[in-house]
Amino acid sequence: MVTFKIALRNSFRQKRRTTLTVLTMLGGFALASISIAWSDGSYAYVIDMFTRNQMGHIQLHRAGYLDRPSLYKTVDDYKTLGAAIETVERVQHWAPRLYSSGLASVGEKSSGVRIIGVDPERETATTRFDKKVTAGRSLSLSASHEALLGTGLAKTLKAKVGDEVVIVSQGADGSIANDLYRIVGLISSGDAIGDRTALYLHLTDAQELLVLENRVHEIAVVVDGLDDLDEVAAAIQTTIQQPETEVATWQEFARSFYVAMRADQQGSWISLFVILLVVAVGVLNTVLMTVLERRREYGVLRAVGTGPGQVFRMVVMEIMIMAVVSIVVGSAVAYVVNYQLSIEGVALPTSFTYGGVTFDRLYTIINARSFYIPAVCIILTAVAASLLPAQMAARVAPARAMRTH
Amino acid sequence: MNADNDHKVIIAEGVTKEYSDDGVPVMALRGIDLTIEQGEFAAIVGPSGSGKTTFLNVVSGLDSITDGSVRLDGKLLSSMSGRELSDYRRDKIGFIFQAYNLIPVLTVEENVEYIMLLQGIDKKERHRRVRDLLSQLGLDGMADRLPSRLSGGQQQRVAVARAIVSRPALVLADEPTANLDSKTALDLIDMMRRLNEDSGVTFVFSTHDSMIMARARRLIVLKDGRIDRDEAQA
Repeated sequence: MVTFKIALRNSFRQKRRTTLTVLTMLGGFALASISIAWSDGSYAYVIDMFTRNQMGHIQLHRAGYLDRPSLYKTVDDYKTLGAAIETVERVQHWAPRLYSSGLASVGEKSSGVRIIGVDPERETATTRFDKKVTAGRSLSLSASHEALLGTGLAKTLKAKVGDEVVIVSQGADGSIANDLYRIVGLISSGDAIGDRTALYLHLTDAQELLVLENRVHEIAVVVDGLDDLDEVAAAIQTTIQQPETEVATWQEFARSFYVAMRADQQGSWISLFVILLVVAVGVLNTVLMTVLERRREYGVLRAVGTGPGQVFRMVVMEIMIMAVVSIVVGSAVAYVVNYQLSIEGVALPTSFTYGGVTFDRLYTIINARSFYIPAVCIILTAVAASLLPAQMAARVAPARAMRTH
Repeated sequence: MNADNDHKVIIAEGVTKEYSDDGVPVMALRGIDLTIEQGEFAAIVGPSGSGKTTFLNVVSGLDSITDGSVRLDGKLLSSMSGRELSDYRRDKIGFIFQAYNLIPVLTVEENVEYIMLLQGIDKKERHRRVRDLLSQLGLDGMADRLPSRLSGGQQQRVAVARAIVSRPALVLADEPTANLDSKTALDLIDMMRRLNEDSGVTFVFSTHDSMIMARARRLIVLKDGRIDRDEAQA
């Protein structure tokens, strides 16, 4: 207790130096906190936009479809399956999709296309489908031989809203599939490359064209938040009771995107390391100066019977007191900044596209990580920086130290 | 240890101390043989550089010896580890320094009770002893003051209180009056002598002040690291 008392009072002796040290640690804490909140917020935002706008958080496919897609690897009786999925906790929406490839012709222009059959109502609820229509309108809620063309594809085919498009493909029964559709709108999904080939049909129209009645290739599911998706996926798998249907989270079916995000996120540790290095140098400087100045006092303390361990703890405690003050005040500062940036975000000087989604503003997120990681790091840095000086203080030779002026 | 040693607080035999001063070897003590009995009030005197401070440092374990042996209250110092020496100083020796050396961030009361805190003496007993001693040493009403708000004489009295409050076997004082004016110095020495007579605490102090020497009951004169004279005084 007396060791703590001396450490506490010592920390207020050199007010200017203490203030500077506390400010160094406080600044380091706040910067680290904001950096983590910014990184987590940005990635959560990118992931959320990417998954909510396109893929969904969880997808269901016939086993093996993701590794080797095929017209014949379908999920059957998707409506019953969807009804079962809806009963799982945290599931918000689901949307069925059908995929195939074919040839589309508008007038004399032809191009290879990716045929995507969607349920407009469910797709809009799941991935904001209608918001992506940039010209004309979205598909009617019931099948009406309508088509939406990706903006890139429309350019290739020199097509405009109101034109007719002929699609030629292959039916699941081996027949030649072809039909005529009216272009009701153009769509920009955010994935510019995908939009060069994307052609959307009503799910029922696509099923008729490809002879895949009541069958789909994919069911996209969105849930309330990105946390613990594995648990939701497992719950869906249990609920549907179909071993031939695979349930995968976005980390699995968009593995390359996930790996890229993880790699980017790892990079933020470097900035944290640099911040902590600056803090460590500041703390080391303070403690070294303190120990050298108080060499005589440590000699006296040792002379009157204070153990080396007690002197060691005294020095470390003094820095720990400053670290705790820095963390408490730094938390308040970081919270205010993080909160403000989580609401208003920061406009990017130039927008960027990630995974087909365009971002022009990024936000922080207020989470426990952005407080406890900097707190632990500041404490460890402060302790590490004070170990050597504390050792020097504990090992002073009393007789020699007391001759110091 | 035999029965004859029971009353001997310090037994120094052939104590030699050599140290290096900027690479130049200096022989500070040259084979000192000295015994201090319990209850003595002894002064170690001699000119600057005669080895007074070095002797006090080696008999308290603050500094090592080059040769010979020192027994303090029967214990051979050279056989103790750093930690043991630390505990031993805490429990057996009280120190009074020329520059007072109080802990600047602790109040008078906290400075005096510091060693008792290290010893784990309970709060009630600590406060009783501190209160009694401060009163005895004329420091009433100063318990809550920081050392920086005391005069030199007051600080040295606090240092005396700190040195004796844990009831050590020996109090070592290195030039305790060097920074005090004559009157305050004599008052302090008289006070130490009273404590010696009243409580039987053994005092060994170094000085080169002739007025202070006259108050000692034993005078040990050092010259060039050797005992030049060792005589009892009235």
